[in-house]
Amino acid sequence: MALAGCLLLPFVEFRPNRIASGVPEGFAVAGLSGWLLVAAAALALISAFLPARSRGPALLGTGAATAILLLSALGSAAERLQEGAPVIARVSIGSGAWLAAIGAITVWFAGSRATGSVRVNRAVSVIALLAGLAVMLWGSVGELSLAKEYAVQSRRFWMLVRQHLVLSGAGLGAGMLIGVPLGVLASRSRVVRDFGLGVVSVIQTIPSMAMLGLLIAPLAALGLTAIGTTPAVIALALYALLPIMRNTFVGLAGVDPATIDAGRGMGMGRLQLLFRVEVPLALPLVIEGVRAAAVLVIGIAAVTAFIGAGGLGILVFQGWGQQADDLTLLGAVPMVVLAVFADAAMRMLRRLAVSPGIEEGGLS
Amino acid sequence: MIALEDVTKRYDSLTAVDGVSFEVPSGEVCVLIGPSGCGKTTTLRMINRLIEPTSGRIVIDGRDVMGIRPEELRRHIGYVIQSVGLFPHLTVAENVATVPKLLGWERSRYSPRVLELLEIVGLDADEYAKKYPRQLSGGQAQRVGVARALAADPPLLLMDEPFGAVDPLTRERLQAEFARIQRELGKTVVFVTHDVDEAIRLADRIALMRDGRLEQYDTPEALLDHPASKFVHDFMGADRALKRLGRARVADVMTSDVLSTTDGTGGVSRESCKEARFFYLTDDEGTLEGWVDCHVLDAGTSPEEAGTLVDWREAAVQPDTTLKEALSRMLGLGFRNVAVVDERGRLLGEVSLSAIERTMAEGDAHIANLPEGEILGVPPEEGVPPEARAQLDEGVQPEEGEVTT
Ligand SMILES: Nc1ncnc2c1ncn2[C@@H]1O[C@H](COP(=O)(O)OP(=O)(O)OP(=O)(O)O)[C@@H](O)[C@H]1O
Ligand SMILES: [Mg+2]
Repeated sequence: MALAGCLLLPFVEFRPNRIASGVPEGFAVAGLSGWLLVAAAALALISAFLPARSRGPALLGTGAATAILLLSALGSAAERLQEGAPVIARVSIGSGAWLAAIGAITVWFAGSRATGSVRVNRAVSVIALLAGLAVMLWGSVGELSLAKEYAVQSRRFWMLVRQHLVLSGAGLGAGMLIGVPLGVLASRSRVVRDFGLGVVSVIQTIPSMAMLGLLIAPLAALGLTAIGTTPAVIALALYALLPIMRNTFVGLAGVDPATIDAGRGMGMGRLQLLFRVEVPLALPLVIEGVRAAAVLVIGIAAVTAFIGAGGLGILVFQGWGQQADDLTLLGAVPMVVLAVFADAAMRMLRRLAVSPGIEEGGLS
Repeated sequence: MIALEDVTKRYDSLTAVDGVSFEVPSGEVCVLIGPSGCGKTTTLRMINRLIEPTSGRIVIDGRDVMGIRPEELRRHIGYVIQSVGLFPHLTVAENVATVPKLLGWERSRYSPRVLELLEIVGLDADEYAKKYPRQLSGGQAQRVGVARALAADPPLLLMDEPFGAVDPLTRERLQAEFARIQRELGKTVVFVTHDVDEAIRLADRIALMRDGRLEQYDTPEALLDHPASKFVHDFMGADRALKRLGRARVADVMTSDVLSTTDGTGGVSRESCKEARFFYLTDDEGTLEGWVDCHVLDAGTSPEEAGTLVDWREAAVQPDTTLKEALSRMLGLGFRNVAVVDERGRLLGEVSLSAIERTMAEGDAHIANLPEGEILGVPPEEGVPPEARAQLDEGVQPEEGEVTT
C-alpha cells in the first residue's frame, strides 16, 4: 500500500501560496530520499511474504524505516520545490504521502504484533523516535506547509494544546469520579443497573453538537450559560460516563462468585471485599473503560470549540473557514497524537496497576 | 465444642436443612456426608453465618453464633470452600496471609507464619510463596486453600469438599496429609464430602444426611456395623469389610523387624534369609532400592537372579497409607508383603497380608457376634462374608503359593 501510494498518487502538492490549489508532484522530486523511501516500502512488501519466524522483525524494521524515510523525503521534496519560488509558496503533503504514512504505520504495527516481544518493540520505537527527531532537526521538514503554519501559530498552538488537555482531562476526571461509583452501584442494585446503564447509553447516542445544544436549557436552569469551559466539561464527562460505568459494572459482575464467597468466608466486610478483592479483579476492565473514554473525549473536545471552550478544535475550524488545509491539519494531527499518547499511558497504567496474577502474559 | 440444636433452613417451599442436631466434641473431625443436594453445604455455612438459619441454634464453645458479629465469627473459623476460591490477584503468600491481615497482625508476625503453613501443607515455601494461583495445579491450589484456612490458627475448621477437584492419587495424598496435620494440630473440624471412603478414613464421627435430615450420627465403625436404616446401609456400600480397612493405617499393623542390606545382592545368602520372605536392598541413606525374594533363593537361584530393583514410589507404602490402599498395592504387585518407607523412601519395615487379615478378622468377629436382626434390611447372605477375602484369594494365590508367617 505504501509503495502504491508513493508510485501512483501525488506525493506532495506545490502551491504558489497558502490557499491556492496545488500542483501535484511525484515522489521523485524528493531525490535520493524519495528513492530510498520507495526501496524501504518495497522491502516491507517483500517482508510480508517471508516465513513466519522472520516476518515479524522484518516488518517491524521496514515499517519503521519507511515511516522515517517518509518524513525525510517530505522535507527534501519541500526544499527542492521551494528553491527559487516566492516566499509565500507552500508545499503540502499529498495524498500519496498520506497513504504511504498509513501503510508504513500499518506495517510497523503488524510487525510489532507478530514480534510480540516488548523489549524489541520498545527498542524499535525508541530508535525510530530518535531518528524521527533527527530528521526533524537536521532535515528540511520545516519547509513543509504544515511546519510553516506551526511557525506562525506556535505560541497560540501550545496554548490550545494545553486547553485541549485541560478540557479532556477535566471531562475524563469528572467521568471517572461519577462513572466508577455508578458502576459499583450498578453491580449492587438491579435498579441502578437497568435504569442507570440505560440512561447513560442514551446519552452516548446523542451527537456531540446536539449535546451542546441540549445542555443549554438545564444549564440555564442552574443559572449557567451554555458557553465556555463548564458546559464543555459537563458534556465531555457525560460522554466519558458510559465506557467507564459500563466497564466498571462488567468488570465487577465478572468476578468469580467463588472468590467473593471465599472473601466473605474469611471474614471480610463489604468494603474490604470491594477494595481488596472485587476492584483489583475488575481493574483491567475499568482501566480499559477509562482508556476508551480518554480517546473518545480527546476527539469530542474538538467540537467544544464551537461553544468557546477553546482547544485544538479552533485550529481545525479556522482552517476550514479559511480553506487552509494545513491549518486544519495543525489542529488535527496533534489531536491524533494526544489520543495515541493517552492510549499508551493507559496501557502503561494497566501494566503497573493490574496484578500479574490476572493479566494475560503478566507472568513471564 | 460445637453444637447444632434443631437447626432448620427453609427456602420458600424447599426445606434445605430440616431440624438437624448434633454435637462435635473439641478436637474431633465430623464428616458431613450424603447425596448431592442433601443440605451439607447449607449446614456447614450456617455455622459461620454465611447462611442464617430459619430456626434453631448453633453454639460454639457455649456462645450462640447469632450473638457474634459475622465478620468477627468468620475470622476465627477456618473455611475451605467447595471450589477452592483462591484470590487470583494475590500471590500464594498473600492468599494465606488474608485472615491474619484482617485480624490486624503485624507483618513480622504473619510472614513467618505463612512460610510455616506452606511447609505444613507440603509446599516448598521458597518455590511457591511468590506464585499466583493460576500457576498452581489443582492439588497445589487445594493445599494453599487449606493453608489459608489454618493461617490464624483457628480452633474450628469448616471444609467443604476440600479435596473434591483432584485426581484420585492426589486426593489420597491430600487425605493422608490432612490426617497427619489433624493429628498434629487437633482442630475441631466439620468436613463435607460425598465420598464414603474419604469419610471413613478421616472421620471421628460421620453425620449422614438425606433430604435435609440427619439419618445417623455416629462413628464410622457404627455406621458400617450398625446402620440405622436401609438408606445408611446402602449409602455406606456393600464392601464394608474393605471399607473398614480404609480406616486403619499401615502404621498400626506394620513390623519394623525386616532384613536389609546396603551391600546389594552380594550381601544376601540363603542362610541370611532365615524365616523372612524378602531381604531388602537399600542405599547408604536407607532408601529402598529393591529386594531379594528368599523363596526364589530357596529354589536354588543366585541372589542376583532373585533380586529385583524397584522404584519405592510404586513398590512401597508409607505409614500413613490406609490398609485398603496397602492391600490394593499387594494385589497389584502380586506379593503377600509390601515394604513400608518414609516420605523420602527410607525403609521403615513391612506390612504383611496376614497382619491385614487379622485386622479384618477383628471386624468380622465384631459383626459375627451381632444378632442377625441388628443389621437392618440386610439379607444375611450379603451382609457377612467379606468380599475382600474372595478378592484376595483370587488375586494372590495363583502366583504366590505358600504363606510365610
Ligand atoms: N440460595 C438457595 N435458594 C434456594 N434453594 C437453595 C439455595 N441454596 C441451596 N438450595 C437448595 O438446598 C438444597 C441443599 O443444598 P446444599 O448446597 O446444601 O447441598 P449439598 O448437600 O451441599 O450438595 P452438593 O453435594 O451437591 O454440594 C438443594 O436442594 C439446593 O438446591
Ligand atoms: Mg455442597
